[in-house]
Amino acid sequence: MERIDKTEVKIATEAIVEEQGRYLYCVVDSGEKVSFGEIGIEGKEVYAIPYRDICAVVHNCPAQPYRSDDQEVVKAWVMTHQKVVDTAWERWDTVLPLSFDTIIKGETEGSAERNVKDWLKQEYEGLKSKIEKVRGKAEYGVQVFWDPRVIAQNLTRTSPEIRKLDEEIRLKPRGLAYMCRQRLENLIKREMESKADECFKDFYTRIRKHAGDIRVEKTKKAEQGLQMIMNLSCLIYKDRHTELGEELEKINQLEGFSVRFTGPWPPYSFVGGA
Amino acid sequence: MEPTRNSHATLVDLLDRVLDKGLVINADLIISVAGVPLIGVNLRAALAGMETMLEYGVMKEWDERTRVWESEHRKKNVGANLKAGR
Repeated sequence: MERIDKTEVKIATEAIVEEQGRYLYCVVDSGEKVSFGEIGIEGKEVYAIPYRDICAVVHNCPAQPYRSDDQEVVKAWVMTHQKVVDTAWERWDTVLPLSFDTIIKGETEGSAERNVKDWLKQEYEGLKSKIEKVRGKAEYGVQVFWDPRVIAQNLTRTSPEIRKLDEEIRLKPRGLAYMCRQRLENLIKREMESKADECFKDFYTRIRKHAGDIRVEKTKKAEQGLQMIMNLSCLIYKDRHTELGEELEKINQLEGFSVRFTGPWPPYSFVGGA
Repeated sequence: MEPTRNSHATLVDLLDRVLDKGLVINADLIISVAGVPLIGVNLRAALAGMETMLEYGVMKEWDERTRVWESEHRKKNVGANLKAGR
């Protein structure tokens, strides 16, 4: 009679208990059931769970989120996440990326995998239409900065109101000049804002022409005394960014302005929402 | 100008996307990570929106205003495109 090794049974049970989640990287436009090998977060095997002609790219993991207080660890996870999405993107040309740490849970053996399939099934139409929307396209980041010192200086030269006040200050005795200086600062602040408004609208209109779709993101803090006045994500056919690049170069050449142009990224900003 | 994706220079751009964006899944199905401080404070700060009013004041309200303008502009264009039968 064959004797079952108790330790083996124990290990097998533990493995099942510990792997009751599926970490999702992306959904792709293919029903192929493939494995990518051990390229996942912490060396996990990445494979595809198909439903009809689409599939979810996943790895097996415990049903709990990845978390760490160590920034370097998190950075490495995020980079790996991105590498996996890139690998799928290269292979199938069209991906719907998920954000880091999206894990579909399961309660019993095999139920996580079923839940992934059920999710693909339920959302099938929506996923297909998202796939069509981003087919063959990539996302590019466009951030426009200005140097407030240069802009303020130019405004001082070109705005008659500011020039007038500036001259008044020169002629006034100290005490009064202080009050005027405050007024001048407020005036500059206001004019800077309306200048930023004007630039935003102008640049947006120019950039819009070269992008299939566009998302306006929150502006971020910038370094070296610069201010970000515009933060966009643009959806464009892969490698058809030349015209946009030329337009951005023109903005980049303006005095006091600079542009950051990044990508191609998987279309993260265009697959959210309903 | 050419787009770049050098892994060091564009790390923040990558984090921005991978941490906050992407396909959304029905919350019942997934392990909730909302409110869990996943990453260190410094990394978050680099990602946070511009929050201080700077010396020459491009202000938060301005930032919000431009986005309102954009969404109205977009609606108008969609309307125009629909009318034009595009």
